[in-house]
Amino acid sequence: MKLLQNSGIPIYQQIAEQLRMDILAGRLKEGEYLPSIRGLAKDLRISVITTMKAYEQLAEEGLVTAVQGKGFYVNAQDSQMLKEQHLRKVEEALLEAVSAARIAGMTGQELQDILCTLLDMEEDQGNER
Amino acid sequence: MTRIDEKETITKQNIEKQNNEIQKPKIRETVLQARNLHKKYKGFALSVPQLSLPKGFATALIGENGAGKTTLLNILTGIRLDYKGEISYFDRQETGISGEVQEQIGYTGPGCYFLPQWTIRQVEEVSGLLFANFHQDRYRAICEELGIGGSGMDVTKQVKSLSDGNRMKLMLAAVLARDTRLLILDEPASPLDPLMRDRLCDMIREYLEQGDGEKTVFFSTHNIADMENVTDYAIILEHGNIVEEGFVEDLKEKYVLVKGETADAEQAGKILFTMNRSAYGFEGICLAQNLDGLAGMDVSLETPSLSQISVAVMKANTKLAKRA
Repeated sequence: MKLLQNSGIPIYQQIAEQLRMDILAGRLKEGEYLPSIRGLAKDLRISVITTMKAYEQLAEEGLVTAVQGKGFYVNAQDSQMLKEQHLRKVEEALLEAVSAARIAGMTGQELQDILCTLLDMEEDQGNER
Repeated sequence: MTRIDEKETITKQNIEKQNNEIQKPKIRETVLQARNLHKKYKGFALSVPQLSLPKGFATALIGENGAGKTTLLNILTGIRLDYKGEISYFDRQETGISGEVQEQIGYTGPGCYFLPQWTIRQVEEVSGLLFANFHQDRYRAICEELGIGGSGMDVTKQVKSLSDGNRMKLMLAAVLARDTRLLILDEPASPLDPLMRDRLCDMIREYLEQGDGEKTVFFSTHNIADMENVTDYAIILEHGNIVEEGFVEDLKEKYVLVKGETADAEQAGKILFTMNRSAYGFEGICLAQNLDGLAGMDVSLETPSLSQISVAVMKANTKLAKRA
């Protein structure tokens, strides 16, 4: 797991993100336990509370379940949830594009045009294949 | 860029607003609870109505020199008994310190409590006599790992011939060689070099992991930045009073680091908790709930570090005390 100290993204979010990927990609399987909170904190050399917050976030998202005294295990993942996770990623990426457009002084219409052009290009490529 | 004309602006209302909002955070399980602790010296009074340490975590005690950190730790460890108040340890019914409780607590102090003429080997012998749960093999392993006796692991070296850093390491070795449930460390990082501070953080994490939620660490420190990645819960002490406390992740959401332009500085000063102004703009800590007041200003927001939060809280309370 790679953690960046000065990326502006809180450490707990970075941990949650990487574990989320592992779960959604099936690298962490249903019923499997996440590493113990204090074990992961030791390995990543961060505080226990940061690890705990990452796990709690995953539990809130329904990806894992906390068992008193035993830790956190991975839930069964349904396709609806997977879709929502991807939707979230799309929103994040688009937001980034929006803020870049703001800096460049582009209008909403110009941004939409770019998106349409990109979609068309993507479609054309698909057709050629 | 250098700062010119650095000014601090703290409005009294901001601080009073903040002080009213210190609520005791919810702690699921505690390892120690104290009520109505009072200790008076000439010109100084420690007054802690309520103190709880979360079980299974590392808690940092932060505060200026003379804030009462050592006094508080000495009361909790039983070094100082001339105080008013009640302390209950672990899940025991009866309050107060006892031999049984002390057997479960490991303590290192700001000075070295071993006699100067003792050798590294004698420290081992004395510790073995004093504590039933002392493991000789573990003591020797830690001494060797930390290189306390030098490269040749000279156990006949006397305490007085050791450097400050090595004396601290020796205390840590003697404490970690015991089976304990609570470590109380008074300024453990101060005499240590950067490499060893890093190792200290690892040792605290290892201790917490071994306990799997049953072992707790409480340490005081001035080196907040060095210890930040091992601090779960923070208690900030000023003039004998707890002025802020909470889980670090919660504190980082409660306070926001704000940077902005000079034009907005005047207006922002009324909203911010603490603020530094310069010719190039302002920078300060704002309570997250007051961020609305900065609407319309060109500001950038960041998550503050624990040291930034601590410094802001300490500054604000020092100012308030001077005014009072």
